[in-house]
Amino acid sequence: MKTSSVTKLKKQENYIGYLFASPWLIGLIVLGIFPIFMSLYFSFTNYNMISAPTWVGFTNYRILFTNDDLFWKSLGNTVYHVMIAVPLGIIVGIALALLLNSKVKGMSIYRTMFYLPNVVSVVAMTLLWLWLFQPNFGLINQLLSPFYKLFNLEPLGWYLDQNMSKMTLILMGLWTAGGSMVIYLAQMQDIPVTLYESAEIDGAGWFKKTIHITLPLMTPSIFFNFIMGLIGSFQVFTIAYIMTNGGPSRSTYYYAYYLFDKMMNDNAMGMASAMAWILLVMVLIVTIVALRLNKFVFYLGEET
Amino acid sequence: MKKIVIGLCLVLLGVFFIGCDGGTSDRVIIDFWHMSPVGSESFSATKQIINEFNESQELYTVKGTGFGFWDYWDKIAVAISSKTAPDIGFSTIDDVPIRAEAGVLYNISDLIDADPDGIDIEELYQSQLDFATYEGDLYALPFTATTRVLYYNLDMFAEVGLTEADVPTTWEELHTVAKQLDVDEDGVIQQLGFDPTYGNATYHGYLWQCGLDFFDDDLNPTLNTQKHIDVLQWMIDFNSEYTRNQLVAFGDANAMLGINVFAGERVAMIVEVDGLYQIIQNAGATFNYGVTSIPLPDEDGVRVNWGSGFSVELYDNRKNEEDQKAGAWEFLKYLMSKEVQKEFSTANGWLMAHQEAMEEVAEGNTIMTRLLEEVAYARDKRYVAYAPSWHGNDWQPYYNQALNRELTAEQALAAARANYLQKKENWEATH
Repeated sequence: MKTSSVTKLKKQENYIGYLFASPWLIGLIVLGIFPIFMSLYFSFTNYNMISAPTWVGFTNYRILFTNDDLFWKSLGNTVYHVMIAVPLGIIVGIALALLLNSKVKGMSIYRTMFYLPNVVSVVAMTLLWLWLFQPNFGLINQLLSPFYKLFNLEPLGWYLDQNMSKMTLILMGLWTAGGSMVIYLAQMQDIPVTLYESAEIDGAGWFKKTIHITLPLMTPSIFFNFIMGLIGSFQVFTIAYIMTNGGPSRSTYYYAYYLFDKMMNDNAMGMASAMAWILLVMVLIVTIVALRLNKFVFYLGEET
Repeated sequence: MKKIVIGLCLVLLGVFFIGCDGGTSDRVIIDFWHMSPVGSESFSATKQIINEFNESQELYTVKGTGFGFWDYWDKIAVAISSKTAPDIGFSTIDDVPIRAEAGVLYNISDLIDADPDGIDIEELYQSQLDFATYEGDLYALPFTATTRVLYYNLDMFAEVGLTEADVPTTWEELHTVAKQLDVDEDGVIQQLGFDPTYGNATYHGYLWQCGLDFFDDDLNPTLNTQKHIDVLQWMIDFNSEYTRNQLVAFGDANAMLGINVFAGERVAMIVEVDGLYQIIQNAGATFNYGVTSIPLPDEDGVRVNWGSGFSVELYDNRKNEEDQKAGAWEFLKYLMSKEVQKEFSTANGWLMAHQEAMEEVAEGNTIMTRLLEEVAYARDKRYVAYAPSWHGNDWQPYYNQALNRELTAEQALAAARANYLQKKENWEATH
């Protein structure tokens, strides 16, 4: 008798729990799970967003892999971006954190300054850099003009030069390295001072302490930023959309941009959905491979 | 305290219900989407036009919703696909058949047959009506018209001793005159006579003038003839004394500052849309200028320019909304009437589809009159289902590579053609 009333009470509590969680659950189902499965369905259809979708099986996937040059071109651009932007972002983030992990007067102001770009919207940031990188009257080329004159060089074309455009966008992205810097900084300050003290007694200088203590103990946050950077970089879109329109000569035409164009310009929602699922699988595979690097990550306090 | 809270709740509830009622409960609400959002210059005039209709009605109330031009297209596309489209709204006229085929538009011809005096179709341009026709019936009406013309700066002409009589009519004359108007200092362009890639000039526009096109009648890409190469080469070589970087930089610098190169008196001649007239007017520019037809390749060239316009359409959300349909038709008749077309033109600076209305608006205005003359020679681009953005996204990278001399004109055209062929093949595989 007693057991049954407890069970009843548990059930009741469960119902109440679900009731309280329902706004979120409904949101998850309606705005999350349903669109995900619909996009999977659309990826097997021809759907122009006006007429009803018609089933085409794996045709969209077959076309993308075997008869779509732009698919491979955009994927190549994206992989280039990922391979340079992610490591560079980590290096700059760590460098900033190392720089700002000292006891200099007004350090909190410097930290805030480096973090500030992260609160600026991507659109505003891109427009700002569009002006800065403008090859003819942009501030960057103005500052570099003595250097150009000295070595008798042509001013750099930045985002208007197809050989430099991808690098320009990557450099621009480094402006927000302050975001990851905060994470590195937090972890740096978690490193026990005793480790540094014993290293100093052993005669270690700043460089040795950084290589043998700071960096190894920062691997969890480096690993975290690496994984997040990978996932984010595969989806690069906004900066190219605003700054270069995918050009010049499709040099910044990234995967997500092509996906967007498939949907908005070609009215091919089915093909765009197939591209989204291919991207998901690619990111999953890359992430799973990247997770294998976990064995090189040193977690402080972990038993070995 | 409890009483105060309950009292406040009741007041809020009352306000909510009053707000919902809106005082039009006995009328059918007609949703109308337009491009004059709150805060835009044309908002008040558009609202006034809607209010005037509502005041004249006992059965219907039009509820206008304005979106900015760039937001509008995504909004309407999503609304159509989710069957929540407004009862009446604007769209692009070249792809009306796509929506008609999908059954999301009401047949306008049926409505005209039932109410023959409702709209004076004779006042609309036949070329625009053709675009709005699907299987012999109208599924939309042209609401606005656009055209492209050559704008020329007479003050700059005068500085080098040229007059309006020297305004070029052929490509050869255009080159000769343009070169007299170029000004550079130490290799830096200060003023440019003309550039065929500036403004709203397009490669397909120049092709049309030569009797050529991107696609044949079966929508197979052409582009592989010597004539196609020659036209592109002419565009590339027009200002060959300057590098592409110089030309782009000159145009780009002005564009980034939000200045049209012609309105900013940096180029002497430019091919631009009719909207530039409004820009010059709004900027309060004081220089002397004129407009004329885009110069022809030679005496055998075709007088044609790329013109388009918004269509006005009645959306069928497949919910048997007969009252809404009837109300939307009433409002459509009102929108297409001469007086309202004139009001829209004045409010937005648009060229409207109603010819007589525009003639009255343009009366005594030389520039407007010339712009209207060119509308008669305007032709819209064809809708190509396998490459709806054939003139934009699909073509631009090859075009830019040719202009930058990264590819020869022949290579760029061959690459573009290969891309269209691949798109066509892929489209056919899924349709």
